[in-house]
Amino acid sequence: MQYRISQQRILSVAFTHLPTDRIARIKWGKSWILDGRPETPPIAVTGLAKNAIRIVALEDHASRQGIQQGQSLSDARALVPGLEYWEHDEDADKALLHAIAAWCERYTPLVALSGEDGLFMDITGCTHLFGGEACLVAGLAARLNAQGLSIRLSIADTPGAAWAMARYGTQRVIDEGAGRGAISGLAVAALRLDPATVTSLNRVGLKTIGCLANLPRAPLAARFGFPVLRRLDQALGREDEVISPLMPVAELTSEKRFADPIVYEDDIKRTLGILADNLTPLLERRGLGARECRVKLFRVDGDIATLSVQTANPLRDAGQIARLFEERLAALHDGFDAGFGFDVIRLEVCRTDPFEPGQGSLTEDRQSGYGYDALIDRLGARLGTDRIRHFILADTHIPERSFGTAPVVQDKARDRTLCASSPGQDVITRPLILLQSPELVETISQVPEDPPIRFRWRKVFYDVARSEGPERIACEWWQDGRGSHTRDYFRVEDGQGYRFWMFRNGLYGRETTQPKWYMHGLFA
Amino acid sequence: MTGSLHIPHGCYELGVTSNFSFLRGASHPEELVVEAATLGLSGLAITDRNSLAGVVRGHMAAKEAGLGYAAGCRLVFMDGMPDILVWPQDRKAYGNLCELLTLGKRRAPKGECHLALQDLLEKGDGLLMAILPDHHLDRALVSCIKSLRAAFPHHLHVALSRHYGPNDQRRMARIADLASTHDVPLTALGDILYHCPERRFLQDIVTCIREHETLRTIGKRLEPNAERHLRAPDDMVRLFKGYEGALAQAASLFNRISFSLDELRYQYPDDPAFEELGAKPVPSQQALEQLTEIGLKKRYPQGAPQKVLDAIAHETRLIKKLEYAPYFLTVYDIVRFARSQDILCQGRGSAANSAVCYCLGITEVDPGRIDLLFERFISEERNEPPDIDVDFEHERREEVIQYIYDKYGRDKAGLAATVITYRARSAIREVGKVFGLSDDAISAIAGTKWGSWSREIDAQDARRAGFDPKDKHLKQMLDLAQQIIGFPRHLSQHVGGFVITRDRLSSLIPIENAAMENRTVVEWDKDDLESLGMLKIDVLALGMLTCIRKAFELLETCYGRKETLSSLGDKDTSTYDMICRADTIGVFQIESRAQMSMLPRLKPRTYYDLVIEVAIVRPGPIQGDMVHPYLRRRQGKEKVSYPKKELEAVLHKTLGVPLFQEQAMHIAIVAANFEPGEADKLRRAMATFRRVGTIGSFEKKMVEGMVANGYEREFAEHCFRQIEGFGDYGFPESHAASFALLVYVSCWLKCHYPDVFCAAILNSQPMGFYAPAQLIRDAREHGVDMRAVDINCSDWNSTLEMGARPQPVSPQHRDMAGTMKNAHAVRLGLRLVKGFSEEDANRLMEHRGRGYDSVRDLWMRSGLTRHTIEKLAEADCFRSIGLDRRDALWAAKALDPLSSAERLPLFAAADAHDLQKEPDIHLPPMPLGEHVINDYQSLSFSLKAHPMAFLRSQLATEGYIQNISLPTLAVNRRVMVSGLVLVRQRPGSAKGVVFETIEDETGVANIIVWPKTFEKYRTIVLGSRCVSVYGKLQSEDGVIHIVADRLRDLTPLMMQISDMADLMGGLANADEVRRTTGDMRQKIKPASCLVQSVKDIPKARHDHEGMTRVSAAEKAMPKGRNFH
Repeated sequence: MQYRISQQRILSVAFTHLPTDRIARIKWGKSWILDGRPETPPIAVTGLAKNAIRIVALEDHASRQGIQQGQSLSDARALVPGLEYWEHDEDADKALLHAIAAWCERYTPLVALSGEDGLFMDITGCTHLFGGEACLVAGLAARLNAQGLSIRLSIADTPGAAWAMARYGTQRVIDEGAGRGAISGLAVAALRLDPATVTSLNRVGLKTIGCLANLPRAPLAARFGFPVLRRLDQALGREDEVISPLMPVAELTSEKRFADPIVYEDDIKRTLGILADNLTPLLERRGLGARECRVKLFRVDGDIATLSVQTANPLRDAGQIARLFEERLAALHDGFDAGFGFDVIRLEVCRTDPFEPGQGSLTEDRQSGYGYDALIDRLGARLGTDRIRHFILADTHIPERSFGTAPVVQDKARDRTLCASSPGQDVITRPLILLQSPELVETISQVPEDPPIRFRWRKVFYDVARSEGPERIACEWWQDGRGSHTRDYFRVEDGQGYRFWMFRNGLYGRETTQPKWYMHGLFA
Repeated sequence: MTGSLHIPHGCYELGVTSNFSFLRGASHPEELVVEAATLGLSGLAITDRNSLAGVVRGHMAAKEAGLGYAAGCRLVFMDGMPDILVWPQDRKAYGNLCELLTLGKRRAPKGECHLALQDLLEKGDGLLMAILPDHHLDRALVSCIKSLRAAFPHHLHVALSRHYGPNDQRRMARIADLASTHDVPLTALGDILYHCPERRFLQDIVTCIREHETLRTIGKRLEPNAERHLRAPDDMVRLFKGYEGALAQAASLFNRISFSLDELRYQYPDDPAFEELGAKPVPSQQALEQLTEIGLKKRYPQGAPQKVLDAIAHETRLIKKLEYAPYFLTVYDIVRFARSQDILCQGRGSAANSAVCYCLGITEVDPGRIDLLFERFISEERNEPPDIDVDFEHERREEVIQYIYDKYGRDKAGLAATVITYRARSAIREVGKVFGLSDDAISAIAGTKWGSWSREIDAQDARRAGFDPKDKHLKQMLDLAQQIIGFPRHLSQHVGGFVITRDRLSSLIPIENAAMENRTVVEWDKDDLESLGMLKIDVLALGMLTCIRKAFELLETCYGRKETLSSLGDKDTSTYDMICRADTIGVFQIESRAQMSMLPRLKPRTYYDLVIEVAIVRPGPIQGDMVHPYLRRRQGKEKVSYPKKELEAVLHKTLGVPLFQEQAMHIAIVAANFEPGEADKLRRAMATFRRVGTIGSFEKKMVEGMVANGYEREFAEHCFRQIEGFGDYGFPESHAASFALLVYVSCWLKCHYPDVFCAAILNSQPMGFYAPAQLIRDAREHGVDMRAVDINCSDWNSTLEMGARPQPVSPQHRDMAGTMKNAHAVRLGLRLVKGFSEEDANRLMEHRGRGYDSVRDLWMRSGLTRHTIEKLAEADCFRSIGLDRRDALWAAKALDPLSSAERLPLFAAADAHDLQKEPDIHLPPMPLGEHVINDYQSLSFSLKAHPMAFLRSQLATEGYIQNISLPTLAVNRRVMVSGLVLVRQRPGSAKGVVFETIEDETGVANIIVWPKTFEKYRTIVLGSRCVSVYGKLQSEDGVIHIVADRLRDLTPLMMQISDMADLMGGLANADEVRRTTGDMRQKIKPASCLVQSVKDIPKARHDHEGMTRVSAAEKAMPKGRNFH
């Protein structure tokens, strides 16, 4: 959605140190600016660029010590050995910026992002609510500062002028119609031009916006291209610029408004069913299925309750979607406060995947929805998806570590069963039952590597009739330490046909002089 | 348990993977051989994966250990067949194997080998082979057995091995069954990956590196146990219980192998035919003698001195006895070719400075000038071929390489390999990754290493990086990283080592594709080739030769003086005067700061002094603490004495102090009773076999031997340390002698014709220690008229112009006023303009006619693109048509982005008309300071002014003095100086001291920063481009230093000169902080090449601008360079 502006007043906010501010807020709390920065080593944020880990953002404290943006981390550390560095988390920065934008909606609904480190706010006609432009700017600055954000901001007639002044100037409010004079002394970089253009402008001596504005247009366009003129015109208000207000958009939405707020759970469930029904054809048309859905319940008093569910498979069936929310609601129960009721209910599909429709069966009841996947979705909705786990193979030689569990929903792609066996092994080499932990066995056997002849396990004596081995499995030295013992596994069978999996712990001679025997599993 | 076993036939291990199967084996070939001998095996065969790269090392080690040895190979196929081990039975079969591997490698990308079973069927004649069944005992195996059995009925075996897997017995039974079904003998082998069980850890590490996994994620791709090590015979008998026949079969298989790598001993090329000798093939020795005779007459028209005649007679005799004549003739042939193409060249290295080589023209060093003993390089006992390296002009070496390929054929000539091994940094990096350390943690630990080639890792490094060295995980990592150092990583192309053979090269050594297109490289490196006695010649590139050749050309065209390397003599007093004043910027070898500070102390007056000067500033003499004793004796402060009379002969030339590698070796022989061959082994142990750990025994033998012979222990230890120093960077007298000649010639040129020298060296860039800025400045100080780059006056190269305006000579060079004969001005060439190509320059010159009269004219006539013309404008090249940088740029910007040639003529004309009507624009004039900065940006120097000149008035009020006044000040005074940073160095031998050279508009100042001060001001030392220094003035033998107490970053002040003060150029080639490439053998370079910090001007006011600068700056920096 775009918003066309005619007589406008724009506020531009520049967050000069967003990434480090975010970290500072984590480290020292949101009021760290007001409290004063603790005396600790400077903080920088690093990211991968040009084959090296480089500084992508830094706080003033760091630049005072010679750290620069674009510097490689190792260089920076050579300069300031104690440098504290965090990996660049663009998503977190973006989330923070969005959160700030949402918070800024208290001033005006028309808040737009400007790049990755700034906001535009269209404050046309609403400044009187805050005591005028000067008060608004001062108030906003103070509040953001109090939240631990370093900012520069400015109000002007155009987004371009406000942006320029916020980042390159010192004036907080440029009066109506005074834009041109105010920004003419600023560097050309303030026109939001790409660095190469800025450099070539500087080369020929055109260093300020004023220089540029006074020149005939044709020679400029011939040399530096039209974007320069466009940016210039936008800043000077010769050309209008639209800003796109920020509004988080779900992929698909369906909502219902009520004249009378609804309160009862049954009503909500019924409404959800209707909303889900509305979405199905939309999903079908796109060939998609929902992987994550969210319900927003807008309470009349302004509060918003949000419920969301995730599914293991792309889902399109309205009934199933509704049923998942029923599980959620059921799970919430007491935590659910309808207050004075809800006047809007909105169902959003937040994440989708291509839906591969399977061949329908004539005999089975397609509506049942109680298949394996549906079960997992329902259990997940009720218990939390992380808690629904299945067994997986772990890639290791050590028997007791060779399996594990993982959430079902998470790794659809991986093989989900334990029955995968390595190729070419026509003999079963692993027991059916693996003991919880190996049990010490008294054994008669020959060193260095002969099988047991006779052993006593759980107070019973067994005579070994047949055996096979040893299969030698060494420790995972990087976890267990290099001194850990190697095991020699034997498959042994006693006279009655019981088959055991046991091992001698430690190599005779190389690791120990008195290796002990353990029982580790049973074949039958 | 079974008692002692009787093994009638001896035990053999036939399948061994060494670490030359890159990232598969975990032991060096030498380790495997030594371990096998210790365990009591009777024989060993190294079988690397599709490679013979490691077999020579194994061979040499086995010879020493007295172990039976066979070269073999593990063939790995692309078509799903099981691996097959092969061992050539005889020389012919070996040739087949090499051809087979060459075939597979040549059709695969670098480092790979693509083979199919069919290839083996075609080329497998004479190879003994054993199929190594893999996990799947399936149809591929059976069909493989069948087809090979049919093709090679008496050579095929099936390998039986046992690794303590889950089904050993069943598996062995099935394999035995299979073998007997197909009537193929079963042979036992271990399929070894490492020499002892303790190497399992390293084996796991290399597996992870190979698979790009960490220890946590690699899983079952690791071996489950540590059983793939070499075993003692009784262990093997137990392992193959029930299959004793297979063990016996292994023995008989091994005994069928009659081939030894010694058979490859090089046979020299066929008798050559030389035009001088009537173009008929003449027996080599006869040809050599005749050519020497011819050369002798040319060299000594008045008759040779008796000393030289004697030397020739002696050398010829020795050459005949050892049959080395073809080798000398081959070198002669290459040198002759170079000379016919006017490519300057010069031989150096062991045999190069012989009288024979002088007569053949291989070297220009007159044997009468310097007496080097020929036997020292060709020892009868060692029976190894002599070693001659030939340096060629760096710009034209490729022609020589192509000649060699043409003459001997690509099938008979090839480049030797260089085995790239793990160094401390790469080891930490890769092993760290395997341990799952984060990138920055790895960088932090690796970053504490100052040299990329350092060989040791210690826990201190980790502590310095802020880690707890007691951490178990970290300790393991460091330990394994230490172990992997020295492991080969991959093969690379040697810089210029050629191997030339009589037989097809590919039947001697497998050949693989090199990274460079159309280049191939053999699998063995220099040492391997040398060990086997194969002919190799180093064809190296040397920038100074290019420079000297260009200087000679200029000298001839502009001054009508024809000179050669040998025609200048070696006795010019004014040249030595100049050298003694350390006025040596730009000349060969003695131009570095360390060398320059040595010159006034050493005061070279003769040619041999230069030889010493070249050799003395090296790790060998420095580590051996030999420099100061020598200087003291030279200056007469200490009496010349000899540790013992018997060393007088060895040391008398160097005043009793051993300086050269040869001397150190000789001391080992004379004083510690080393056999000559043993001494050579010691030298090689230092250089190449360091990893095997035999150094300790050598050290003991040498030091104890010398003490036993009545030497002082201290002297003995110094001698040994010196040899250690040579190991890193061996610098023998024979090399120094050749280099000294180039030193002399380049100094002579600089002394008498500074204009010629300046133009020549600028045209040979990149080379040497200094950047154009310093070379130009130095020339101007010598009164050379320098003229700016201009579109109407400049060629691609810098040229000499008539009618030089007389220029003032700086006071410090006044003495040279009479000596300098420069009468020309240097017109700087277009090659100095950054980003301007030679091709464009040629276009510009071609269409220039009587000159261009406007930017548009240049554009229309030359057809250059707008972008190119902008480059010229940025370099301020339009002054001859009355446009300064800014006006020219403005005009250039208006041109169509395409070149005029790419436009349709009709529209071009119309447009031109249109655009010329555009309104006049008055651009703000560019201040001089900004011009200078822009000059630096685009040319990396400025003729207009020195940037510091703009700060002088301010600096003067703050009490800074000019660098030029330093010599007039009293020693130990505190002074304040300032300047642009030219060079920062932290030599390994200087214990953390940083040397910095700064330059202001009057001259340079040498700064010494002690570690304590460095820690305090490291930001400034490492980060700033313009500094001021407050410190104590010191002077030693006329060399002035300032020991820094305080430093201040003047870069912000610098920025005031211009709004855009990216002062990028002008940093000398040798700055170690800026330098990005490693391998400066004699230098230690700072941790992380703080390139970025130097390149970036400190924090611009806004990040947006900062980013622009970084990228602009990076483009502006010339690449780093190596020195010899």
